[in-house]
Amino acid sequence: MRVVIGEDLFLLRDGLVRLLEAHGFEVAAAVGSAPELLRALTELKPDIGIVDVRLPPTFTDDGLRVAIEARRACPGLPLLVLSQYVEQLYARELLADQAGGVGYLLKDRVFSDAAFADAVRDVAAGGTVLDPEVVSRLMTKRTRSGPLAALTPREREVLSLMAQGRSNAAIAAKLFITEKAVTKHAAGIFANLGLAPSDDDNRRVLAVLAYLNS
Amino acid sequence: MGHMTTSGRLLAAQGARLRANWPAVLLPLVAADTLGLFVGPAPLWLFIGAAVLAFLAPKEGARLTPFAFLAYGVYGLFLFHSLSFWSPQLVVYGFVHSGPNDNAGWVPFQAVAFLAAGVWLLAVTGAPGGAAVRRAAAQLRGTDGQPKTVPPLLLLLVIFLWEEVFSGQLWFSYGQKPHVVAIILFAAGVALVRLWPRAAAVVAVAGIVSFGIVGVLVTVHGSLLNDGDPTPTVFGAVALDDGGNLNALGLIQCLALAGLGCALAPRLLTWKGDAELAKRAQALTQRVGRLTQTRSDATEVAVAELRRIERDLHDGAQARLVAVGMSLRAAEELMPANPEAALALVAEARETSSRALDDLRGLVRGIYPPVLADRGLADAVRALAIDAPLTVDTDITLTAEPSMPVAAAVYFAIAEALTNAVRHAGADTVQIGIGYSDGMLRATVTDDGQGGADPSVGTGLSGVERRLATFDGILAVTSRVGGPTIIVIEVPCALPHVAGAEDGGWTEVVRSSG
Repeated sequence: MRVVIGEDLFLLRDGLVRLLEAHGFEVAAAVGSAPELLRALTELKPDIGIVDVRLPPTFTDDGLRVAIEARRACPGLPLLVLSQYVEQLYARELLADQAGGVGYLLKDRVFSDAAFADAVRDVAAGGTVLDPEVVSRLMTKRTRSGPLAALTPREREVLSLMAQGRSNAAIAAKLFITEKAVTKHAAGIFANLGLAPSDDDNRRVLAVLAYLNS
Repeated sequence: MGHMTTSGRLLAAQGARLRANWPAVLLPLVAADTLGLFVGPAPLWLFIGAAVLAFLAPKEGARLTPFAFLAYGVYGLFLFHSLSFWSPQLVVYGFVHSGPNDNAGWVPFQAVAFLAAGVWLLAVTGAPGGAAVRRAAAQLRGTDGQPKTVPPLLLLLVIFLWEEVFSGQLWFSYGQKPHVVAIILFAAGVALVRLWPRAAAVVAVAGIVSFGIVGVLVTVHGSLLNDGDPTPTVFGAVALDDGGNLNALGLIQCLALAGLGCALAPRLLTWKGDAELAKRAQALTQRVGRLTQTRSDATEVAVAELRRIERDLHDGAQARLVAVGMSLRAAEELMPANPEAALALVAEARETSSRALDDLRGLVRGIYPPVLADRGLADAVRALAIDAPLTVDTDITLTAEPSMPVAAAVYFAIAEALTNAVRHAGADTVQIGIGYSDGMLRATVTDDGQGGADPSVGTGLSGVERRLATFDGILAVTSRVGGPTIIVIEVPCALPHVAGAEDGGWTEVVRSSG
């Protein structure tokens, strides 16, 4: 799998390259500025791009803008966006095109090699992986007449873990229930939210998130 | 300068020095006039002496010139008073008169002009006594640059006194004691100025204008006030000679007086006087008091912030990093003997460092949220709205970005208002609106909760209010019990920064080249 990395901190960029190569990825390009990243993403068309939000020249949200711009040029291009801090606002912007293959994680998550590599593979496969912090804030949106109110607490838990990119098996393990129970809860979620059921887990999560974010 | 000869360069330098001490140039002219006073057609040597002094030592010449003017003026006045009308010595002064029948009413004005020029030169050059003149002028001008009434009235009274003392008769004769009358009038004038400045201003203007106008009328129609009696000396001395012939220069003088009065009139008549000054002084004092208060508030707030940051760092991130260090050290020691335990400690250290990052993130958010720094006020408030646990609708119509301190103050004010809506009001929906008009940035936070908010009861709004006050901003809370709570934040500011200008347009560059 070919990866393009956009990260301006040398140590972290180097660390990412090593980590990914150790897990069997091929790093097609590792760049340190937004214009270079946009060029690399649009020209090299990798299987996934790993993008830091804060990049030169302005060191504000250049990376995020590159991500959105690249996906406009190549729809559905899988991108995993990393940041020192996560904002729901940014998550919304990334999920707006509903094309799947979006990840938005705190840089801290890089500490766990295997989990990070899993996230990369998930996003490359078209999945949605949101940082637990983003998901938890989304889930605590307490609205009396809002969509989340229609779900049971257990359903909310399952949905939250799905949005974090966990597989059904992982969710079952975490909640100490069976996989079948997880599937049942998932069906319940979609029924309660009034969404059409779908076979593709990723699309389902995406639909739910888009719905909640609207 | 290289192409000049040595003498040329010397002259150039001399010229520069003269230009720098330009009053010195006037010295030879005054010297010539003074000569005329003493000995008529003058020996050249005094004039030459003054010219040489001006050229060789322009600085000293410049210092002497004001005194020369003053002496010339004083001497002219005494001359006019003590001598009969015509004498050779007046040739210089009254160079427009040629015969014994000519009046010399022009002389006092010339003398006064020389005196005034001397005083002004004292003030503008580096002559000794100049500082005193400048101080007196500043005094007359008053503390706020407005002229006081004294100068115009003084001018009128000086004219009175003058003509009386030097021409022997008042406008309308008061018998044998004209000097006494002049002094009484002067005292009355001063009293008028102190008690009713505005009335005094009116009298001064009227006096000046009437001098001028009546003088013109007298010139045109002959004797106005008396039949057969000598025309009023004030005017007769200037506009008409004894033979009733027109004195053009006197007429010009009358017109100048009238013009002076009319020019002064608008300024004096619209001047509000001491009461207005007192009101303005009070307003200024209040403003200074408020600025002092908000400044001390701002520094208090800043210091409290810094102490909070220091405490949070100490108790949070610093403590955790210490724990990480200890875990790693313990792991180091355990590694050879008990690798599994060491591994557990390393995992713990990693976990603790994650917590430390969480702490730092929270701290940074409380100081200056990154989204506010990166995206500006509008998006930062939208992010607040999205993050809030209840439904928040935003209506933000800002086209430009306020300055960072104002943006931060408004952001934290809105954040506090939102927190209160969530925590105390038990609301379902909140509306946040931000707009800008007429130099005022206005933000409203409306929630449909139970109301009854009291800003004085530790809701954090008072702290926000103080922070806003630093920018002359206000915070108003409307919160009836049972009804909605509306919080309005207003801050006067300019919107110079255009949002997104820092992009640099590089996305366009890449797209067009790629």
